[in-house]
Amino acid sequence: MGYVGQRLIQAVFVLWVVATLCFLMFRLMPGDPTLNYIDTSMTEEQRQNMLVAFGLDQPLYVQYLIYLKNLLRGELGNSFLQGRPVLELVLEALPLTVALTLSALIVAYIFGVIAGAFLAWKRGSLTEGVAIPLVLATRAAPEFWLGMILLAIFAFGYGWFPSGGAASAGAEYGSEWERLFSLDFLYHLLLPALALAVYLQGLPLLLMRSTMLEVMQDEFVTMARMKGLSEWTIVIRHAARNALLPVATAFALGIGGSVGGNVVVETVFSWPGLGRMLVTAVQGSDYPLAQGAFLIIAAVLVLMNLVADLLYGWLDPRVSHGRKG
Amino acid sequence: MEDLLSIRDLTVRYRTSQGPVHAVDSASFSVPRGEVVGLVGESGCGKTTVARAVMGVVPRTADILGGPVLFEGRDLIRLSERERRALRWKEMAFIPQTAMNALDPVYRVGRQIEEVLVERGGRSRSQARARAEELFALVGIDARRLDDYPHQFSGGMKQRASIAMALALEPKLVLADEPVTALDVIVQRQVLDVLKELQARLRLSVVLVTHDISVVAYACDRVVVMYAGRVVESGRVGDVLERPRHPYTMGLNNAFPDLERAAGELVPIEGSPPNLLDPPKGCRFAPRCPFAEARCVAEEPPLRTEVDGHAAACWRSDEAAALRPLAGEAATWRR
Amino acid sequence: MAPARPSAWRTASGQIGRVLRIASRDWFALAGTLIYLALILVAIFADRIATHDPSEILYTGRYRIARNLPMSWDHLLGTTHGGRDIFSQLVYGSRSAVVVGLTAAFCVAAIGTLLGLLSGFFRGWVDTVVMRLADVVLGLPFLPFVIVLAALTRPGTATIVFSVAVLLWPNTARVIRSQVLTVRERAFVEAARVTGCSTWRILFVHVAPSILPLSFLYGSIAVGWAILTEASASFLGFGDPSVISWGGMLQDAYASQAMGRGAYNWFIPPGLCIVLVVLAGFFISRGYEEILFPKLRS
Repeated sequence: MGYVGQRLIQAVFVLWVVATLCFLMFRLMPGDPTLNYIDTSMTEEQRQNMLVAFGLDQPLYVQYLIYLKNLLRGELGNSFLQGRPVLELVLEALPLTVALTLSALIVAYIFGVIAGAFLAWKRGSLTEGVAIPLVLATRAAPEFWLGMILLAIFAFGYGWFPSGGAASAGAEYGSEWERLFSLDFLYHLLLPALALAVYLQGLPLLLMRSTMLEVMQDEFVTMARMKGLSEWTIVIRHAARNALLPVATAFALGIGGSVGGNVVVETVFSWPGLGRMLVTAVQGSDYPLAQGAFLIIAAVLVLMNLVADLLYGWLDPRVSHGRKG
Repeated sequence: MEDLLSIRDLTVRYRTSQGPVHAVDSASFSVPRGEVVGLVGESGCGKTTVARAVMGVVPRTADILGGPVLFEGRDLIRLSERERRALRWKEMAFIPQTAMNALDPVYRVGRQIEEVLVERGGRSRSQARARAEELFALVGIDARRLDDYPHQFSGGMKQRASIAMALALEPKLVLADEPVTALDVIVQRQVLDVLKELQARLRLSVVLVTHDISVVAYACDRVVVMYAGRVVESGRVGDVLERPRHPYTMGLNNAFPDLERAAGELVPIEGSPPNLLDPPKGCRFAPRCPFAEARCVAEEPPLRTEVDGHAAACWRSDEAAALRPLAGEAATWRR
Repeated sequence: MAPARPSAWRTASGQIGRVLRIASRDWFALAGTLIYLALILVAIFADRIATHDPSEILYTGRYRIARNLPMSWDHLLGTTHGGRDIFSQLVYGSRSAVVVGLTAAFCVAAIGTLLGLLSGFFRGWVDTVVMRLADVVLGLPFLPFVIVLAALTRPGTATIVFSVAVLLWPNTARVIRSQVLTVRERAFVEAARVTGCSTWRILFVHVAPSILPLSFLYGSIAVGWAILTEASASFLGFGDPSVISWGGMLQDAYASQAMGRGAYNWFIPPGLCIVLVVLAGFFISRGYEEILFPKLRS
């Protein structure tokens, strides 16, 4: 319990520092902070009301306290451009980003784990010699460029897939769930998820391969051989199960990392998720929305770092089961 | 009675980037039924490789050559991988070094014992569990500890668990690789006692690989002394340790404290074993041997069996009685 | 690593020499080094290699902009929608890649090494502060941070290099720290302490040299990340519009519907260049890691 508690405190601390940084970045940058915060098209009276509501007429530390208080209440202000509460907008975009991230990650990790184990098996072969530089190349390719190629071939070239967006024009659904599980949504999801998956599969693949190679050297694998267990049992039940520990951790970290990293893929495919929201908000000087999107992305990242730590402990009995011996 | 295991001219060659290394070079010895044979020598002399080669599990870079290695009359080297696998654990089992990570860290110890019972022994889950409890009782561990993970075990318990694991399918031969090396002296005694008692009760044949001559004295019936990949002396423990015929064995006798008595004056053998990439032409021990003559450097002595199955590979083994008192003195080994 | 005696820095320079010699032994490292060399040569001689002024709008006749021309001898890779020569843009893009890659790599290695050294050497509260700082940085989403920073200050190369340096140092610092923790226990550091060397002298003369190869390794990885980040930021419109970069070219292509027209000659080459250069960084770090720190792999 001490371990979990310690991790939790650390995560809360990091979140607090990130929120503070965010406050400083958005308020202390050159220029009049009120101009950053307040829509220029407002009348003077509206402007004054706004200033008071956000405490912008107060000294900085008071503003900071108000900011923290508002954050805790989930009060992130209103978007300039859309006039709606930031929290509402962000929570609308979040499921779309999560759907994209998760589907890409799952495909990438299933492929990566299997291919990585296979390459560990085939070590020293020609297949390996060709595959490793190829995999490294996918890691080196900008995600948006992979997206552009996919778009050029499958959306514009063959016309098999839509060139962007998350839904066909005029499509309406009864609920968010219905939308996320509709065929139309899947049809729109496929290309961006594929682009992301191509980029993401390299990490689990290389990780799986190198840990497999390491584990195969371990004495308990030799012992499994001495026991006359079948090759399948040795590779799957012993080697792969052990090699999965770091891969599972990487998966959790990957969720956090790619919710933020999706920014470019979402932009290329006009996917209305959090990342694209952040980019358009920043481009349109919609600072409350930009700050809200940034904070949520950071929160997901910190949360997933925490989950990764806990997951590792849970999967590895050496951490989760204390020493009795 | 026919020997359970009879090794003739076994050679194991490692392919390395600097060239082939003969980790074991024409080793020959036998393991009679129901006896404990100690395989002793310095680290790197090839004793562990012999044990692994008998199991047929060696690194990819190693080739097993020579032979035959007869197990109940069948030559293990000529068997297919499939046939060998069928023998593993059912006929012969292995006890690894404690220090090695021999148990899979992510599974409970009990589950690992049950695994071999189910997969190799064809038992049901519940039968396997009952048998695992029985095995733990046999080696003196509380059956509740079956549900622990390996890291929750102490070194001595891990070693007992390894013994339990080795006995799971009632093999005829057990190969134990430095089973007590990493343990403190008191636990060493306990583990050896468990091993000896079970060996006698189950009429097992055991090959006990160790670098510690006192473990041989305490637990073995026969001993095979290896040096630089070759067998230099073998015979009954009483004969070999009390009347060694090879200067290396005499030196080993000096270099270790006895398990029974306190450490007296230890006399180390100076120098280090030869580089196996390029072994010396004559006797491999000659460069370190205080009694070496011109012939020892020029020509390799064969392993000659003398009275009562006591064999030695030394040109001067006939003079052993005269050399022994000299070998007991520290000055002889100093240079 | 050889124990550093009287002249630890000479040993260090010897190690860097070794690092360079490694390139001739490892196929990966060799390929990576060759790509880097080619990149630097192209960047230096960009004005000679390029066939046109990359930002000049070209015309085929009076008032007729040379839009979307296919590949030809005149325009090796054709022209953009705005009538600029793609090949020449590609060649000049190497300059921005070199500048961004090298400065960012230097900053990451410098910050990471310094903080890792301090935290591993002094331990105690210095260590706590540095490591908590690293936790915080790892809690910052990478690209969003770059975007927000670029938007709030001014878009451009300096902002991108700055954010890469600020965000990537923790990995380097953590590795350096653990290395320092082992080095400081070694005999020569002990000896230096006994003979009365000052703390700073021990740190910079005795400890620092033995961790230089590690800084080098992490610096070479940072080159790739910096170039990728610059490309992404430029693509999103947060790059310096006056500088020609591969990311900027891709943004131009995307915004001008190059994919819709199937103008592969426009958007494939800049991406390939990025892949090649980033890959070179991977190859080099991989090769060096294998030889310098065999225990990290194998």
